[in-house]
Amino acid sequence: MNRLFLSIVLLFGISPYPCPAAEPTRQDSLIRLTSDGLFKQRPSWSPDGKFLAFSRHKGSRISIWLLSTEDGKERRLTKRDEPEYDAVWHPDGKTLLFAFDKTSPNQGDIEVYSIDLDGKNFKPVVTSEGKLSHEESPACSPDGKWIAFTSTKDGNQELYVAKSDGSEIKRLTSDPAIDAHPCFSPDSQNILFSTNRWGDLELAKIDRDGSNLTRITDSPGFDDYPAWRADGKQIAWTSNRDRNLEIYTSGPTGDEPRNFSKSPGIDNFAAYHPDGRLTFVSNRDGVFEIYLESK
Amino acid sequence: MLSVGSIKTGNSNQPSRRAVLRAGALGTLGLTLADLLKIEAQAQSAAKKPKSIILLWLWGGPSHLDTFDLKPKAPLEFRGPYSPIETAVPGTQICEMLPALAQRADRYSIIRSMHCDSNDHGIAGTIGLTGSDSGAKSLGGKILNGDVQATHGSVVSKILGFDPTMPRFVTTGKFLDPGKKRIHGEGGGPLGAMHDPFRIDYNIDTGVELPQLQLIEGVTADGLTKRKALLDSLDRLAKKVETSPAIERLDSFYQQAFAMLTSSNARKVFDLDQEPEKLRRKYGKFRFGQSCLLARRLIESGVRFAQVNWSSHVEPIEDTGDGGWDMHDRHFQQFQDRHAWMLDQSVSALLDDLQDRELLQETVVVAVGEFGRTPKINGKSGRDHWHHCYSALIAGGGINAGQVIGSSDPRAEYPIQQPVTPSDLFATALQAIGIGTTELTTAGLLPLGKPIEELL
Repeated sequence: MNRLFLSIVLLFGISPYPCPAAEPTRQDSLIRLTSDGLFKQRPSWSPDGKFLAFSRHKGSRISIWLLSTEDGKERRLTKRDEPEYDAVWHPDGKTLLFAFDKTSPNQGDIEVYSIDLDGKNFKPVVTSEGKLSHEESPACSPDGKWIAFTSTKDGNQELYVAKSDGSEIKRLTSDPAIDAHPCFSPDSQNILFSTNRWGDLELAKIDRDGSNLTRITDSPGFDDYPAWRADGKQIAWTSNRDRNLEIYTSGPTGDEPRNFSKSPGIDNFAAYHPDGRLTFVSNRDGVFEIYLESK
Repeated sequence: MLSVGSIKTGNSNQPSRRAVLRAGALGTLGLTLADLLKIEAQAQSAAKKPKSIILLWLWGGPSHLDTFDLKPKAPLEFRGPYSPIETAVPGTQICEMLPALAQRADRYSIIRSMHCDSNDHGIAGTIGLTGSDSGAKSLGGKILNGDVQATHGSVVSKILGFDPTMPRFVTTGKFLDPGKKRIHGEGGGPLGAMHDPFRIDYNIDTGVELPQLQLIEGVTADGLTKRKALLDSLDRLAKKVETSPAIERLDSFYQQAFAMLTSSNARKVFDLDQEPEKLRRKYGKFRFGQSCLLARRLIESGVRFAQVNWSSHVEPIEDTGDGGWDMHDRHFQQFQDRHAWMLDQSVSALLDDLQDRELLQETVVVAVGEFGRTPKINGKSGRDHWHHCYSALIAGGGINAGQVIGSSDPRAEYPIQQPVTPSDLFATALQAIGIGTTELTTAGLLPLGKPIEELL
């Protein structure tokens, strides 16, 4: 996609690709941003909307790519062979946090690393302490002061917060369930995450200090991968309450959920553009690509 | 019972008078002459079709609790985060992460009481592929007593006999290894190398790879993704084969391979570009998906046992393929991000495609790994090896579908009803394609398992 093309796409919401639609009205309102057909996950927009970071699987490789909305070109974030994925932006727009597997092969040793947009300052932020554990699914607070992540360091996958440099780690959850995929509220005070403590996977909210655990969704089946819109008025997540994986949206308390994506394929990994538009991964055209809600 | 097999239409394309009269009588059953002729054609066609097996080898060992044997009432530390969903078979539930397979549950049966004698990839892999641990090699390198037995595909090859133009047994994927060392039991063993699998592979970058091509100097698999390049390369290969001194050193197995590769009809089977892009996408444009499509093409072309290896190595996050099922760590993350939908999509597409081509009745599809995974979730959000109880899927080939064979206890730790071994599973698959005790013993092979009666 060339520069002019992508600019037109993002400014006016006109798709350069034909999107055969299961439901034309909804499909007409989507813009496909990638076109290679490989599986992708966890898109994340830079705060200024100039870059989209995402993870791309190719054979045995998982790597982070950056799509520039200025020139339409993609580039890898690092030149490394080890698995790297699930990048999120620091609110300064200059740094990304991501999950890095420093000891693949075998089961790996996943840790949270950071890197500058120009590929410099590749460094660990949250690492295993002594015994093997996995720290992943990083999230940055919008005020830039905190990070949230999951870790298995205490014998179960739990939710943790730390200062943005990885110091002062605090455990937020303590339950035999699996807690996963945290994201911060726009005011940096609350964290949305997924948990199966009530049986199947549901969304829950917890204060940054570990208090006030609140159930957000209550539906049969899978509710996971939450995202919180910058104005604080909407959340999005993946749900299979209609049998296949779709992107759902609701108010921040989970009220009045609605199926946003409505396709017979898989729709997953919701993220918000800084202007509030939804982005997600979908195989509605037969292969996995990243789509952006048009204006 | 409706009998159409004896109806003859003579030498012309016109239906015989008797057929017309019988069709008239059948009108009372709501059948037209066209229906009758169609049924007749199908019956004649079906009678001629040989039966085959496609083995989807889920290397690493999928979790039975997160695929086909969910335990939603088990304690949180066991049940995992996924819910069971209803399927096309009333009363049968499978994992919510396999919705496409749920819709097709009336085309396969599930065995929930699989078990074997080892939780070591190397040994369990040999048991799974040969029915015996004889000569198996453990992860630590220890070799068990006895000679390695022939794998199931080699048994099929032996009994059906050597075919100079098309191998009976093809494996897609490289050699299986649990830790950079090959396991034992992937080939002909005592039956000889002639019954080893002919190996091909699918690479996401280069497309179909034919390792045997590399046996002749100057011939590589590079650039074979494009149809013309593939055909041109094979034309060049044909000329090289005729003149290469290497060919004289090759045994009959490799001569067969080259004969096949240089046969204009046989080699087309490797050209996935001949398939509609829509169908290729339906299978999934990743290694396992395209390998399943290759398996269907192989079966269609005369291969009688096509084995699709999910991956070469057991680990999920690396390797030449898309990573195996050995999820000691981060099991749920990897399962829901990738493995679940890949399995769901590719196996569903294979079942659909076989059915659409009227091949499902002649093709047994088996999906199974070497063992299951620990019902109790470990401290790294993973599940470890568990050989006491696991699940398998079996479809096609006239196998009775829509059934659940066996059952496990409330935590899926042990079978409580009708335990089934890997030998029993493959005895069933072999029986379905017409290879039973008589055929095995006539060929000098010992039957190792007992076919599951309910499936036959």
